[in-house]
Amino acid sequence: MAQPLVKKDDDHDDEAEYSPFLGIEKGAVLQEARVFNDPQLDPRRCSQVITKLLYLLNQGETFTKIEATEVFFAVTKLFQSRDLGLRRMVYLMIKELSPSSDEVIIVTSSLMKDMNSKTDMYRANAIRVLCRITDGTLLTQIERYLKQAIVDKNPVVASAALVSGIHLLQSNPEIVKRWSNEVQEAMQSRAALVQFHALALLHQIRQNDRLAVSKLVTSLTRGTVRSPLAQCLLIRYTCQVIRESAGNTQTGERPFYDYLESCLRHKAEMVIFEAARAITELNGVTSRELTPAITVLQLFLSSSKPVLRFAAVRTLNKVAMMHPMAVTNCNIDMESLISDQNRSIATLAITTLLKTGNESSVDRLMKQITNFMSDIADEFKIVVVEAIRSLCLKFPLKYRSLMNFLSNILREEGGFEYKKAIVDSIVILIRDIPDAKESGLLHLCEFIEDCEFTYLSTQILHFLGIEGPKTSDPSKYIRYIYNRVHLENATVRASAVSTLAKFGAMVDSLKPRIFVLLRRCLFDSDDEVRDRATLYLNTLGADGAMDETNEDASEFLFGSLDVPLESSDEPFDISSVPREVKVQPLAEKKAPSKKPAGLGAPPSGPTATVDAYEKLLSSIPEFSSFGNLFKSSAPVELTEAETEYAVNVVKHIFDQHVVFQYNCTNTIPEQLLENVTVLVDSSEAEEFAEVASKPLQSLPYDSPGQTFVAFEKPQGVPAVGKFSNILKFIVKEVDTSTGEAEDDGVEDEYRLEDLEVVAADYMQKVGVSNFRNAWENMNPDSERVDEYGLGPRENLSEAVNAVINLLGMQPCEGTEVVPSNSRSHTCLLSGVFIGNVRVLVRLSFGIDGEKEVAMKLARAPAAQQVNSGKLREFGGKTVAAREELRPDKRDKKRKRAGVREGAREKSRETALEVKFAWKKRKGRGRSDGICEELFMGMNREVACNLAFLTINEKGKARMEGWCDGDGLLLLGERRWRGEEEEEGKGSTLAFTEKDGWIEERMRWKGKMDGSSWMYGDEEVEEQHRVEKDGLGCRFDEVVPVIEGPIGEGKGDLGSPDFRVSSN
Amino acid sequence: MILAVLFANSVGNILVERFNGVPAEERLHWRSFLVKLGADNLKGVKNEELLVACHKSVYIVYTVLGDVSIFVVGKDEYDELALSEVIFVITSAVKDVCGKPPTERLFLDKYGRICLCLDEIVWTGLLENTEKDRIKRLIRLKPPTEF
Repeated sequence: MAQPLVKKDDDHDDEAEYSPFLGIEKGAVLQEARVFNDPQLDPRRCSQVITKLLYLLNQGETFTKIEATEVFFAVTKLFQSRDLGLRRMVYLMIKELSPSSDEVIIVTSSLMKDMNSKTDMYRANAIRVLCRITDGTLLTQIERYLKQAIVDKNPVVASAALVSGIHLLQSNPEIVKRWSNEVQEAMQSRAALVQFHALALLHQIRQNDRLAVSKLVTSLTRGTVRSPLAQCLLIRYTCQVIRESAGNTQTGERPFYDYLESCLRHKAEMVIFEAARAITELNGVTSRELTPAITVLQLFLSSSKPVLRFAAVRTLNKVAMMHPMAVTNCNIDMESLISDQNRSIATLAITTLLKTGNESSVDRLMKQITNFMSDIADEFKIVVVEAIRSLCLKFPLKYRSLMNFLSNILREEGGFEYKKAIVDSIVILIRDIPDAKESGLLHLCEFIEDCEFTYLSTQILHFLGIEGPKTSDPSKYIRYIYNRVHLENATVRASAVSTLAKFGAMVDSLKPRIFVLLRRCLFDSDDEVRDRATLYLNTLGADGAMDETNEDASEFLFGSLDVPLESSDEPFDISSVPREVKVQPLAEKKAPSKKPAGLGAPPSGPTATVDAYEKLLSSIPEFSSFGNLFKSSAPVELTEAETEYAVNVVKHIFDQHVVFQYNCTNTIPEQLLENVTVLVDSSEAEEFAEVASKPLQSLPYDSPGQTFVAFEKPQGVPAVGKFSNILKFIVKEVDTSTGEAEDDGVEDEYRLEDLEVVAADYMQKVGVSNFRNAWENMNPDSERVDEYGLGPRENLSEAVNAVINLLGMQPCEGTEVVPSNSRSHTCLLSGVFIGNVRVLVRLSFGIDGEKEVAMKLARAPAAQQVNSGKLREFGGKTVAAREELRPDKRDKKRKRAGVREGAREKSRETALEVKFAWKKRKGRGRSDGICEELFMGMNREVACNLAFLTINEKGKARMEGWCDGDGLLLLGERRWRGEEEEEGKGSTLAFTEKDGWIEERMRWKGKMDGSSWMYGDEEVEEQHRVEKDGLGCRFDEVVPVIEGPIGEGKGDLGSPDFRVSSN
Repeated sequence: MILAVLFANSVGNILVERFNGVPAEERLHWRSFLVKLGADNLKGVKNEELLVACHKSVYIVYTVLGDVSIFVVGKDEYDELALSEVIFVITSAVKDVCGKPPTERLFLDKYGRICLCLDEIVWTGLLENTEKDRIKRLIRLKPPTEF
């Protein structure tokens, strides 16, 4: 390697240190490669040139096609030399050059000759080179030699052939599979490596044949496998066999466990570790099985080799996710790893400890982490922050110390991703742990005082605007927000102005002071900041003109954008704009399934304003005579997400009329719909009579359109009723390549969900600025007071939200927020009822030890006809008698819900009946199946409880659980909380998720009679387990598709169709 | 699969890089990632002391030998333990070829031999030979002694 090279680099002054490749150039080396063509080959010189070529290739240099071909042809000449060193270099060079298939032919004969050479090493290397550059046709020619090579006495030749086989199996499986017998023979080889390679190849050949793999494992686990590497492979294959046979061996010992356990005593560390890891990954591993493996891993934790420590702690980290208790023995060893030099090991140790630690050890752990955090990189810190977030959610009582920790690290130096992770964590904790809210918000406020990231500042300001006004003392945040207006860049200043406006809109007492601050912003140097200040001052009515109501202001501030601001490459074309007014925001098409993650998204509200609706309706001659629009509801979905046609409806209430606006979207590119109408059956809404219908002329793909149906109703009366809907249309095929529709169409119809007009539709949410004044100014004679028992509730907040939702009124002064754990609460509501009657309601709630909620309702003036009736239905103990449905309606309902005839008959005898049916979606695909549950002879509370339904503040149902083959397994525990004398009181049913199983526990008095429960005196306890792997998918939310609050007291739990969103 | 074997000098210049099954467009990313990993962690590390990291489902074992840092990247069956085996073979082979932990100059002097050793140790992503004496013989096209 003594090639004299010119020293160019000034940095390397030391003579001894300069590189032999300094100043190397591709062109020069290619020139040098001409020595390969010399008639008298100089092997030493040729080797040097090849080394230089290799150096170039290894540096990422590429050769052009011509260069590569030239070098390749030159290299093939070197086969003439008999020098061993050079020949070895030639083999390597050919592999590195990977010649194309038309060039390969040049070396094939030389290599074939070497493959049959008497020199073993020629044979081995020739096999490797040939297999690297060969294709299928050549392979059949050399197959015979390869088979011989596999059973060659020389282990190098055998290994070369076997490893070639492993590579060739990818490209030519049918050929390699024919070598099975030879490979089997090689398995018996005395050379450890040959055995290892043979085992790998044999397994790959048989991997699709379960029985053969099982046989292979059975025979090898009994015999002796010499090489530790082969032993590791065998352990992996054994695990595969155990996994696959898990379903067949329900009873007795786990097959092969003894083998795995014996490997824990092997002399090679890699085998011990492999076995330990295999045991921890067994399905449904018991603690008895785990113990020996954990013990071994614990020993590795204190090994002097970092690799072993890392491997052990990584495995324990995984175990801790499923079996935290099993790992606690190792906690002391892991605590010492927190100071490990290798930060990967330390981070894994920390996150494992965070998973296995109990509530009492949290504080000690946090102290250790604090020291540790200062000297690790950001990406490790993010992992720790995430672990702390989940720890805090696990032990909410410890939020104080964990929140303090987060706020401390928030103040320290760190990059954007790290800071974002901390802020996200604090936001999630604020959302999930109500007690943490105030302190969390203050930490965020302090952070933005000195925050270098504009993105985070604006996000936090936005979040403050949503959460801050709901706290007990909103005024203390104002200082932090207003400081931003002075100290920050324009983007942050603009956000701060918006946040101030939100405080002004939500907190009446702060309004005058907010106006002062906003007026100062009018002199800001930035256009956007000034514009926002002006806009908000006007919206909030600072100029004294109170023409905008509070409702409008908060809708403007908190609502989401009507139209997504899309950028497009194509120039705007006016002719492409649909003529009919599009009021349907695109966002509403999304299924309401996911919680907002990270920094809170604004609460979604009605997005289309009454103004836009009013304009639209008055432009239609049929409806122009209906007078002023009183209220438009939020859109109600009438179809499931992702169906062929997406339809939702907006209910427009007029004094004497009701107009249904059906927003339709055609989601099939191959179809054009024409003459679209909705056929409405109002037989369950007796006070309504259809007066007009406006069809939609044409509904092309993905271009929403509206069709309307109008009903007359008695003037000023809040008539209620249920309407069933069928979408009727003429469908025409569209050629998607040309976009032209066929001339002939076919009439078709599509069933939509039912629609209800409820009392809340006649109530406008209109707030008052000073409730007390307004209340005192009302005529005291018009005040009514009633008391209601609301039955058992999870907490007060749930009861308050349910009542607010039922009444459809605007909560005032933030009284809709119930402090957690409070025993009593007063909620103030305001609204305007149809006929422009202002209604104020003061609700007093109380909850007792058994979670029975009582409510006192005082209202002024009377709007009796709405409220009393509704509340009677709502009250748990005052449920109205079941309303008999007309027979024809019953049939329709039954058809849709799939309720069994027998069950129907049975339910006739009972006072109340609840049914469910749901369609479920599995993973990406969907699986439709309707399941039904019948709960008979119980009130709505009990039924909901038994059905694992939680009704949220919007009256929507929520469930948590898993889909199995034919139904839903709902997680949670439910206790039968019927009337005192009712049968079955005290029965429990619980589903829990544990160690890869869903466990079902039932306890009740009685017995199973066929498929139904019969109550009796005998106490019965039953327990079942279902393996989670066998279940379809996890889901955490079931959202009813149909409008209206669940349970109208008619003995029917709303509509029996649920949408399941899986995660 | 052993995804990559990479040698770099003390200032992070690449001496040898061999990728298997890594798309060409990702190689640059891997190269700079590994060099940065080494720059962050290898200062003051003793010869042949192994360091380990994992990045998503990929494991990295790396060490320093004389002036040269060595990185081995693997996934699936080549986890940190298997890779430590691979890197052990590589370091012992390099020491054997150079006679001691190499300076950069010495490493480059023996470049050709080292390439041959690597060719014997890792074959398109699979570990092939593990004993340095055997490798020493194989690169000279001598059959192993045990035979």
